[in-house]
Amino acid sequence: MAVGRRPIFGEQQRFMLFLIAPAALLLLLFQVVPIAIGANASFRDWALYNPKKIWVGLAHYEAVLTDPAFLEVVLPNTFLFMVVSVFGALVVGLSLALLLNRPFWGQRLVQTILLVPLMVAPVIAAIMMRWMFNDQFGIVNAVLEGLGLEGQPWLVQRWTAFGVILLTDIWLWTPWFTLLLLAGLQSLPKEPFEAAEIDGTSTWRVFTHLTLPMLQPVIVVCVVIRAIDAFRTFDIVWTLTGGGPGRSTELFSLYAYVLAFLNLDLGRGSAAAIVGGLIILVVGIGMYRLVDRVTKS
Amino acid sequence: MAMVRQPLLFGWMPLIGRRALFALALFAICFLFAFPVLWLILTSLRPESGVYYVHRGTEFTLASFVEVLQEERLVQAFVNSALISTLATVFSLLVTVSSGYMLSRFKGPASSTWFGTIYVFRCVPYISWVIPLYFVSQSWGLYDTYLGLLLPHIAVHICFFSWLMKGFFDGIDPSMEHAALIDGCTRWGAFLRVALPSAIPAIAALGVLCWLFTWNEFLFALILTGNKVPMITVVMAQFVTEMGLRWNLMAATAVLALVPAFLLALFGQKYVIRGLRI
Repeated sequence: MAVGRRPIFGEQQRFMLFLIAPAALLLLLFQVVPIAIGANASFRDWALYNPKKIWVGLAHYEAVLTDPAFLEVVLPNTFLFMVVSVFGALVVGLSLALLLNRPFWGQRLVQTILLVPLMVAPVIAAIMMRWMFNDQFGIVNAVLEGLGLEGQPWLVQRWTAFGVILLTDIWLWTPWFTLLLLAGLQSLPKEPFEAAEIDGTSTWRVFTHLTLPMLQPVIVVCVVIRAIDAFRTFDIVWTLTGGGPGRSTELFSLYAYVLAFLNLDLGRGSAAAIVGGLIILVVGIGMYRLVDRVTKS
Repeated sequence: MAMVRQPLLFGWMPLIGRRALFALALFAICFLFAFPVLWLILTSLRPESGVYYVHRGTEFTLASFVEVLQEERLVQAFVNSALISTLATVFSLLVTVSSGYMLSRFKGPASSTWFGTIYVFRCVPYISWVIPLYFVSQSWGLYDTYLGLLLPHIAVHICFFSWLMKGFFDGIDPSMEHAALIDGCTRWGAFLRVALPSAIPAIAALGVLCWLFTWNEFLFALILTGNKVPMITVVMAQFVTEMGLRWNLMAATAVLALVPAFLLALFGQKYVIRGLRI
């Protein structure tokens, strides 16, 4: 953070307005208006095949909030997914960033290889994993059987399917952490590390007492960005399991999608979407407070 | 930095042993990371008869690629995805660079309100506004058209990219713009001729990310398009169910979809790494 940044142009409302007008207009038309319409639909009997649009009050919200599938499967799944996938990608990403933060022969090649998942579309990643974890012909089971272990029907059991989904997500998003944390590591001041070296501090203590605290603001920002994105994950679950077996791996986005477009009940789907939106908003604002506190201290 | 470091692990080993171990670990990590993509490429090169035992047999063929490329809908999807990604990148950058500049250079209620708005809308899950957007785009006649897909793709990046752009401009010293203003430059001049050129690396980084995000996006394409504007991700996801047993074709399609993203990321890597210091 640069010191002493003050408004350099003084009052120039028109200039400011022009700068944000296109963005604000697009935001209004494609996010605010749809959300308002969705909120309206969530109070009405709005089936896709027969939109009566009769006011039903909070009936849809009540239906969503008392749906055992939502309370006992979808919400726990979503939060579990959020925590494990973010934490997993953070740990792996940080380790790789530390690895890449020192010179060695072939460093650039390794870096390029480690960034590969960043280029892979989640849909493609899901297709790959589905093929690799195929119970009859997948390479994972072939290797397991080659080792004398028993192959698993990975995608038709709840927890193994959930594990594959998590693995795919962590694989996909690790480079994102690596990239941002590596940039963060490279912009840290050198002096404290040199001082620690002269004092003969052990590598582990340097990591826990210097690197980690100094990197904390970047870590927190990364975690917040990723956590909010993880909450709305749709494509990998849709392509890998479609929420199955049964509905046991459904995440929140899939739940709302299924209500709106497969059950063709736009009212209930919108209500679910709004409930989820409110939940993540509360989580998001809480996390923003955290970022604020960390970056200011 | 001094080159001699105290090793964290395996301190008892001689240096050469530690070096070998390090190289081995690096190789293992790279292999695990690249394996899914390598496996996909290998699958796409196997003939139909060999696809179920990819790891056995030595026949390789490009027949799957030829067959896939004869599929008209798929070629159309490639063109559409490339077109939408490129247009969305250009317009997203136009819109978010100026909005990020405003956030960085002005303080006060207007700026903090805009920042709050952006943060809140960044949190809103896509599904919460894409479900009703389906209706909005139908009633505006935008459903299943290029424009109906392009505009939401621009809108979705506003929040995140404005925020990143703000960070980039925060890192650029405003005193040059000060000087330009004192020398009689207009505000637009100071923005476009002074601040913008120094933000080029960051803009390049965002451009690469934006193109990749749009090329890889699935949910919008799934909900906002029907048959007229197929996008590559949706067509692929449909293939999984339609051609469930023809994995060689599936893999060939996926490999083809990877190529443009791969090339872009390879050439853009250096900008992304340099531009993403938050």
